[in-house]
Amino acid sequence: MIVFNKELLENTFLLAEAKRLNDQGFVSKSQLAAIKGQLPVLKSNNNVLIRIGFFLLGSFLFSSILGVFSLFTSFLLESHIGIMLFIYAVVAVVVSEFLAREQDRFGYGLDDAFILGFQGFFCATIGFSNESPLAAFIAMACIGLIACVRYLHTLSALLSLIGIVGVICYLVLEMKVVNSSFLPFILLLLAIIFYLIYAKINKSDRFIYYTNSIWLLQGFSLLLGYFAMNYLVVRELSESLLGLKIAKGQDIPFAFLFYGFTFLTPTFYIVYSLYIKDKLMLLMGFLTFGFSIFTIRYYYQLLPIEVALLLGGTLLFIVAYFAIRKIKDKETGVTFKPARGSEIDMLSNLEALVVNSQVDLKPMESDSKMPFGGGGFSGGGSGESF
Amino acid sequence: MTTKSNQFTEKLLARNLISETQMETIKNHEALGIFSLHNELRFLLYLGVLLFTSGIGTLIYKNIDTIGHLAVLGLLFILTGVGFYFSLKKAKGFDKEEVLFDNPVYDYIVLLCTILSCIFIGYLQYQYKIFGYGLSSLVCSFIGFACAYYFDNKSALSIGITGLATFIGITVTPKTLLENEIYSNPSLTYYGIALGGLLLLWLAYSNKISLKKHFQLVFLTFALQLIGVCSIAGLLESYWYIFAFLLAAFVYYFYKISYEIESIFLFVFTVVYGYIGFNIVLFKLIAFVDISAFAEFLTILAPLYFIGSIFGFIKLIQHFNKEKS
Repeated sequence: MIVFNKELLENTFLLAEAKRLNDQGFVSKSQLAAIKGQLPVLKSNNNVLIRIGFFLLGSFLFSSILGVFSLFTSFLLESHIGIMLFIYAVVAVVVSEFLAREQDRFGYGLDDAFILGFQGFFCATIGFSNESPLAAFIAMACIGLIACVRYLHTLSALLSLIGIVGVICYLVLEMKVVNSSFLPFILLLLAIIFYLIYAKINKSDRFIYYTNSIWLLQGFSLLLGYFAMNYLVVRELSESLLGLKIAKGQDIPFAFLFYGFTFLTPTFYIVYSLYIKDKLMLLMGFLTFGFSIFTIRYYYQLLPIEVALLLGGTLLFIVAYFAIRKIKDKETGVTFKPARGSEIDMLSNLEALVVNSQVDLKPMESDSKMPFGGGGFSGGGSGESF
Repeated sequence: MTTKSNQFTEKLLARNLISETQMETIKNHEALGIFSLHNELRFLLYLGVLLFTSGIGTLIYKNIDTIGHLAVLGLLFILTGVGFYFSLKKAKGFDKEEVLFDNPVYDYIVLLCTILSCIFIGYLQYQYKIFGYGLSSLVCSFIGFACAYYFDNKSALSIGITGLATFIGITVTPKTLLENEIYSNPSLTYYGIALGGLLLLWLAYSNKISLKKHFQLVFLTFALQLIGVCSIAGLLESYWYIFAFLLAAFVYYFYKISYEIESIFLFVFTVVYGYIGFNIVLFKLIAFVDISAFAEFLTILAPLYFIGSIFGFIKLIQHFNKEKS
């Protein structure tokens, strides 16, 4: 099923594990070097910049190869464009196989260009020959899954998931399989199914090489579950997609449900993630909570912005303060002690660099501009006009 | 997650790549079930401070004519005073090395107070004009540096340096960079480079007497941005060759330094500034000679140049990573 050399693949993951243990201080640097010497691994680029660089190079390479092929296949352009696209897809598959099998490239950058390339061309082939978006979405879901399974390609998993959501949305919105206003609930159900699948394969030992794809599945299902039932999303999309007109004083159907989910989902994520100790879910909880506040402010300006900022800031500070006080001295479980191998220094450096762009400049700027009689005064940091 | 990593750990053990005792320590550690919220909670505190201070700023800005000036000043003064009082009480005093508060909450209280005092001074200046031209940002800068060195606070240091830059009339933020509004006066180019150089000198001196060595990255980042932006602005002026040499020299210096402190962040920015500068010089040179003779040749060369640039960039980063590990 997996295209890569079994032994090299296992070594790659073993080395990654050894690196993790080194970060956490269990394994010394010299020992890590010794392990590195003993394990021949697949060629991959862990540095994201290098990988992007190689991806760009790969795209150039791919397009030049296609250029050569187009010279011979240009006569198909008029009437058989599907065949031409299919040939391109086959070329990309062949190169991907070659890179993975013969060259042992895994997450290298070059291979990404071809793996994504054949998926794109394959979906285009299906879409063009059937002239149906539904077929293209189905192709996207299937081919993404295959690419994810065969090349351990995480981005393909994302494409596959998007394809599945696309299929459902198309079925409901365009083909009216069920009443369109039920779409949020169907998507919520889909998110729950995704999460159940995640929970199932996360427990299993058979998918040890798919850690990243499994994380992606979890994150995707959490976000899908939230946005499917978010009030802002549902309302705006029903207005634009279903042509729903909402008169003043009226609301969308089931509004109370969507309001409820908009706030209960993030709360649930945060509380439950602390219970099962899941970082990703906690992060999603914070992000979606932020979006929920935005949702409410979008429709109801209960407080002027500055009061909201003051209150929000104070509240956040107090909550964090008491949370720290509560877990400060705990040695086990949920704790304030930095995790082994986490980079605290990076956070403080980041904060230092962000604070400069965020807060303090403008008041100073306004001072220095004052003698020129610039007009207004931009207080402490958020006025735009002078 | 844990079960899966354990599988690989066990395989490492099975292949004798890690020892039994190491496995024991790892298992003991995992049995603790540690779920650290350190970074998350610190980030919430930081966010709280940012929201609060922008709230105060907006409040003052919107109501500048309606609320009593003394009331605002008094409130700010009390808030800042209380914050500093508690921070001073908890602080361990000045030290050349890194000193941390027992409770990181105080780091953020110090940051809050630093920003609030800057707002206080800005307000004072607006209302009563007690400082001369630009001096108020110098005072802010002074407060920033004082807090940074006494309480060991990098964010305050960042405020201090920005204050200095503002004093000479430069604003270096991502927004101004994008909108090409870093400064309005061309002679500021020289000041900017001078300030960058000054920061580097101060850093070299600090390192020599080992004063707060961990501030290094903040200093270097600001120096690089100041020098990089100002040199590139200088390249577009008539005496551009001076700036070409300056930029080349500084890029070389930062290149060396980023290897020394193993900071990929600094390295990438150095390379990017160097690349932009190189391209500007290249275009100047092409503009010198008669283009029409080369036009076709250049069109063919352009994609190759582009691919070559990406390739060179990859090679540079790979080399950097190899040296680092």
